[in-house]
Amino acid sequence: MLTVENVSKTFNTPGGQVQALKDISLSVKTGEFVSIIGKSGSGKSTLLSILGALDNPSTGSIVVDDDQINKLSGAKQTQYRAKKIGFVFQQYNLVPNLTALENVMLALEFGGYPANSRLDRATQLLESVGIEADQQQRRPTRLSGGQQQRVSIARALANQPAYILADEPTGNLDSVTGKKIFDLLHDLSRSQQTTIIVVTHDLEIAGKTDKTFTLKDGKITTK
Amino acid sequence: MNVVTRGIKNAIRSPLKSGAIVLMFAISIALILSMLVARGSVLSKIEEVKATAGTTVTIQPAGVMGNMGGGDPLTAEQIAKITSTANVSSMTSTLTDQLGTDDTNLTSSLELGSFGQRQQRFESSTTGATESTDTTTTQTDRPAPTPRTSVTGTTDANSIATNGGELTITNGEAFDGTSNELIALVGSDLATKNTLTVGSTFTAYGKTITVKGIYETGNAFQDSGVIFPLATLQTLTDQAGAVSSVIATINSSDNVESTVAALETSLGDDADITSDAENAAASVESLQGIASLTTAGVIAASIAGALVTILLMFLVVRERRREIGVMKAIGGSNRSIIGQFIVEGLTITVIGAIIGLALGILVSGPMTTSLVSNSANSTTSTQTATQGGPGSAGMRMGGPGGAFRGASAQLNTNLTQVTASLTPQIFASAVGITLLIALLGSAIPAWLTARIRPAEVLRTE
Repeated sequence: MLTVENVSKTFNTPGGQVQALKDISLSVKTGEFVSIIGKSGSGKSTLLSILGALDNPSTGSIVVDDDQINKLSGAKQTQYRAKKIGFVFQQYNLVPNLTALENVMLALEFGGYPANSRLDRATQLLESVGIEADQQQRRPTRLSGGQQQRVSIARALANQPAYILADEPTGNLDSVTGKKIFDLLHDLSRSQQTTIIVVTHDLEIAGKTDKTFTLKDGKITTK
Repeated sequence: MNVVTRGIKNAIRSPLKSGAIVLMFAISIALILSMLVARGSVLSKIEEVKATAGTTVTIQPAGVMGNMGGGDPLTAEQIAKITSTANVSSMTSTLTDQLGTDDTNLTSSLELGSFGQRQQRFESSTTGATESTDTTTTQTDRPAPTPRTSVTGTTDANSIATNGGELTITNGEAFDGTSNELIALVGSDLATKNTLTVGSTFTAYGKTITVKGIYETGNAFQDSGVIFPLATLQTLTDQAGAVSSVIATINSSDNVESTVAALETSLGDDADITSDAENAAASVESLQGIASLTTAGVIAASIAGALVTILLMFLVVRERRREIGVMKAIGGSNRSIIGQFIVEGLTITVIGAIIGLALGILVSGPMTTSLVSNSANSTTSTQTATQGGPGSAGMRMGGPGGAFRGASAQLNTNLTQVTASLTPQIFASAVGITLLIALLGSAIPAWLTARIRPAEVLRTE
């Protein structure tokens, strides 16, 4: 269970204060597939980074499975990210000089997975998202966008997180590949009871999720 | 794959960039090492110069120079005082005299010439010159002046050498300076004039003297002389213990000034003391100039090396902000990410250091030689300008003049002979500085990494 209560976020910019999020409250049940839609600059990514403990809210609280994550220490937040959260980014964000396999193993290392079984686990994860053995040894630059996003999903799944936070996961992909990636995420939420929160501006994708939140000017307008 | 292997792998991920960093770092390390080596050799040379050059002090009876002047020679008691003075490491005593036609059967190999005649014009007029009013008559009364043979008694025959080094014996052998036998070394010109060879004899002061060796200096005045052991000449001339010049060697040029002061106190007004301290100071000064130049070089090369490393590591971290942000977002702790960058920085700097140290060993020799020989040229000109004084003052005895010329020659060789010596201490300092730079170069990315916020990765560019 993930609960957001009265969360606001203000940024100090050279042009003055900018309020990215205004008194947001929402809750997501375990295993739900949720989408957050909104225009560019509506605060979607800010909300996602606060949910993933990449940033702290100015006011309000985020409670994830009884832990108020915005009150955790830096080290505890890192642990929370490593073990409970899997991130999927629009630009894949794979480490460029590591192979697909090594990228997944890196997440396993950070999650404290035993060193001697990381290789097996990573291989199995990559196979499950459809990355073949020879592709696993390639660096990200030698993989297509869709393949890179599959690797990043495998990386997000590495430590069996309770939550996957995906920021425009299909944004850089063509519609056919985008649909495949979406289906992959959808299957995960069904088969492994993983809670998935997807930020998107694709209404078609949003329409297929269990719940959709619409952000406009930092406020949730529909539930 | 762990932090260490990831760091090493990252260090070589871009061969061109890493190669450039390694090269720049290696060059500054090579420069640091060569500067340290140059500094080390110059410093050791300074010690050597202090111990060898400009350490001679010449002590002469007040008013005497060579065979000219007046007053009493130095006595055995005064010699004992000089010997017992602190910091005097060795000394050469000489006594000079001249042989006239009454004293010897030798014919001088020097022509009297107008100079010699002028020098002897007083001596010939000792009888009746003051009483006479008719100058023309007086002059015709005098016996005709004759050239004389210069005689030196010394504890070290090498003190006669005009080049400051060893006396060249062309035939026979040198004598023991402490001897009191009736033996002598004869100058090559005098030997030719009198057809003397090793083992032949001549008379002087009413005694028969055996030729022990023939010497040659290339100086016509010296090569027309006779050298006796000091004690022999003292006995022959009936001047027991008398010495007309002492060249004392001081253990370090640092002590010359204080030793001269001590000698002046103990000998008082009876002796004139001249030292070569100023020449030595000039030489040491120029070496010290190089030493501080190399010290500045070490500092500059270290700063350059540190700046290059820090700047490049700074750029490396900056261009990988996103990657660092991603690692933080997927659960990488600051510690493991910083560790990775430190390993990366150390890998590059260690490779650079190894290449740099090897390069430094190769170039430090020629660099030191060129640094020192350049400076030696400028020192030589200073030396020539300042040296004229005593050496060319028209002394009839070459002793002190030879000593000054010797010191000057010594200074030149000192400067050109500084060899690049790589001691373990110097190598250790270079490694120490390198390590310091490497750590500094790694601390910068660590600090920068810690400041990167993971939320930055969510920004789309």
